[in-house]
Amino acid sequence: MSEQAIDAPIVAAEDTGAPPKNLWRQLEPTMLGVGSIVAMLVVWELFPHLVPIREGTKLFFTTPSAIVGTLWNLFASGAIWRPLGVSASGFAIGLGLSIVVALPLGVILGRSKSANALFDPFITAFNATPRLVFLPLLVLWFGLGLWSKVVIVFIGALFPLLINTYEGVRNADKVLINVVRSFGAKEWDIARLVVVPNSMPYIVAGLRLAIGRAILGVVVAEFFGSEDGLGVMMVRASGSYQVDVVFAGLIVFAAISLVMTSLVRMLEVRLTRWRPQHVSEF
Amino acid sequence: MTDQTLPTTAVPADDAVTREPFLDRYRKPLLGALAVVLFFAFWQAIYLFIPLNTLFMSKPSLIFLGLWDLIVTGELWHDLAVSAQPFFIGFIAAVFVGVAIGIVMGWRQRVGYALDPLMTVFYASPLVALAPLVVVFFGVGISGKAIIIFLLSVFPFIFNAAAGVRAVDRLLINVVRSLGGTEKDLYVKVIIPSVLPYIVAGARIAIGRALVGVLVGEFFAASEGIGYAIAKFGDLFAIDKMFACILVVMVIAVILTEGFRWAERAAFPWRVGQ
Repeated sequence: MSEQAIDAPIVAAEDTGAPPKNLWRQLEPTMLGVGSIVAMLVVWELFPHLVPIREGTKLFFTTPSAIVGTLWNLFASGAIWRPLGVSASGFAIGLGLSIVVALPLGVILGRSKSANALFDPFITAFNATPRLVFLPLLVLWFGLGLWSKVVIVFIGALFPLLINTYEGVRNADKVLINVVRSFGAKEWDIARLVVVPNSMPYIVAGLRLAIGRAILGVVVAEFFGSEDGLGVMMVRASGSYQVDVVFAGLIVFAAISLVMTSLVRMLEVRLTRWRPQHVSEF
Repeated sequence: MTDQTLPTTAVPADDAVTREPFLDRYRKPLLGALAVVLFFAFWQAIYLFIPLNTLFMSKPSLIFLGLWDLIVTGELWHDLAVSAQPFFIGFIAAVFVGVAIGIVMGWRQRVGYALDPLMTVFYASPLVALAPLVVVFFGVGISGKAIIIFLLSVFPFIFNAAAGVRAVDRLLINVVRSLGGTEKDLYVKVIIPSVLPYIVAGARIAIGRALVGVLVGEFFAASEGIGYAIAKFGDLFAIDKMFACILVVMVIAVILTEGFRWAERAAFPWRVGQ
């Protein structure tokens, strides 16, 4: 409250004598943001009424109301739960595995220069390469079932987590490490007491990236190498011109991504509460 | 305490005192190259002891033979050329559209307020999911693929260009104006040097997404191209050539990404570390 009171005159002064912020000025960003989204939806909804669309093109067109209706039907009839469950299990197993592998490996790479030098070419190569390129190979190895999907999600989510953990460990306070070591701590104690708590914000940021990559992995794996799941549902729907189902699937995926990301953000706030503000905003 | 620096200087000293600077300086790339060589050697050697099932696995010697075959017959160049066309069209369109939208969003505060949430929604949703629709609508030719690539790679440009414009130092603008600089000086000396690093950084992110676009487009529906070649060799159980194509894609991806990283460091050294 008091911070804003101090802030306002300074901003106003820099704006070459603009009037002080009133209610509209404060609400403007939100109003404009929400307004543009609402405007887009309205234009989209009214588009077929205003512009004549050829019969052929109509096959490819849908409206927000149709999408919401389809979404409602999918949930009300329960048809969505099975594919959603298949997709979610691939997502959860892959992401879980990547967390289990990336955190210890990231700490080791951050602490040991030799290990880092040895692994660096592989990490660079696999991080730069779109994971999708391995999918045909993985389908060959693991079949069309759950596991080729899990591996794609795993590879996708692994590298952001690994790289962020590594960066966090590298940025741990050297003085603290030396203090702990002076008091006789072993490498394990250093990791537990200094390095991991210090790199927590990096790890959580990596987790946010990893979730996005994992969702992407689920989508592409199900498009090309799967028999069941939301992605499969979407491909089949687009093949039979049920455009509203495709968009409904997209919304479900986006919603999962959004929910997971905000959960991680809450976790971030909880885990970094003890930390002074300026450190957590790296 | 000097604990932190002790191990690194101690290890080369064991080897030879005269070569210490060389080993010290190139320790990381040397170890990295060693790891890659060892990896391939181990991969090759392990099939001396266990039987190789050529239906599911391959070894480096066979992969390089397959690669050689693809190069000699010209198949590889043809596929790469086919894939490159929509890649460049989509990517270059993304550069122009993305930078233009981004600059307007960064320059005009109200436009920024209005478009930021909308763009974030698009950026956060897995747009790859629209690929089947795009393919059905625009067909399997260049245009469908180029549109997928454009959709995937435009958003990093939008966000980074906007961030770059917002980060232009007002003080520098005022200094140039006070010292009698023209509008051209303003752009050449302040605005472009400030925005360009952000755009190049955006390009580095966008390249990866564009490559995903190429593969998605070609896995879905294509009759040629590098992504199609990988899928085709997989279906034919021609594992050697499949691995060869995967390696080619990996090398291209690394060259493009690291190339942009290098360009960032070389052209904008003052930005390194941000």
